[in-house]
Amino acid sequence: MESTDRRNMRTQFQALFDTLRDPQSNSYLLELFASMIVSPELQEEWLNGGDSNKVKGCSQEFIDSLPRVPRSEIPLKESCPICYEKFGDDEYPLVAELPHCHHYFDVQCISLWLSKHATCPLCRDVVNQKTFDNIDLSKAELEEDWGMYS
Amino acid sequence: MASLPKRIIKETERLVSDPVPGITATPHEDNLRYFQVTIEGPAGSPYENGIFDLELYLPDEYPMEAPKVRFLTKIYHPNIDRLGRICLDILKTNWSPALQIRTVLLSIQALLASPNPNDPLANDVAEDWIKNEQGAKNKAREWTELYAHKKN
Ligand SMILES: [Zn+2]
Ligand SMILES: [Zn+2]
Repeated sequence: MESTDRRNMRTQFQALFDTLRDPQSNSYLLELFASMIVSPELQEEWLNGGDSNKVKGCSQEFIDSLPRVPRSEIPLKESCPICYEKFGDDEYPLVAELPHCHHYFDVQCISLWLSKHATCPLCRDVVNQKTFDNIDLSKAELEEDWGMYS
Repeated sequence: MASLPKRIIKETERLVSDPVPGITATPHEDNLRYFQVTIEGPAGSPYENGIFDLELYLPDEYPMEAPKVRFLTKIYHPNIDRLGRICLDILKTNWSPALQIRTVLLSIQALLASPNPNDPLANDVAEDWIKNEQGAKNKAREWTELYAHKKN
């Protein structure tokens, strides 16, 4: 099927779902039926105003360009706010610092989050409005490989 | 079953050792990602003196994705629909991995204390709430009597 067809069908389903959920119809059975024909994920998205589609993550380039905190400056007793592991528990901690707010996270954890979102998990600052031009990307990739196998 | 991430173990330990007042969360023995939850209706709200059952599930993507939470006890509230689903921004678009089970449950408790009929999930309840707040609150109190466990 063409992807435009698929989109059209999706729009029609969404309209049907909204109609069935209309408070005027006021029927529990219809509502239940609406929730049965539409997967829970889509329901959440649609109940949400369907805007989770528009939530865009940061580019891989941006993520790779995040400043890495030098080992001597990593607060080894503090934990990553995402996985709760102490930075110091890793023999070779790879920690990234977010540009505006200077919050620290494991590179691996924050990369995963930023691939789908553009905000700092702690302060919700939008992080990707400025990129770092002075970072050597080839070096960043090398470091990442090294981090994965360490 | 895949091993449980350290974060989930730590959160569970803290929920048990340092529980939130008015809230319990007990992991299921067979599936440590599934929690049976109870929340006490906040004092001064129509849900006062009621204890509500909920279930909370941590999806595989947690904490990159929000926990899934729903009410099992029937409740009359503009942001909770007939299937027990909760309209709360941090469970949807405003989720952040810096939040945790504890903060989610506290937010749900706060939602019971201050319903928000302008951002409804259960449209008919919200309409009722806006048109006749006292009547809606009375109904919520009746439902608490009828369906919630009694606090004693
Ligand atoms: Zn981490
Ligand atoms: Zn921040």
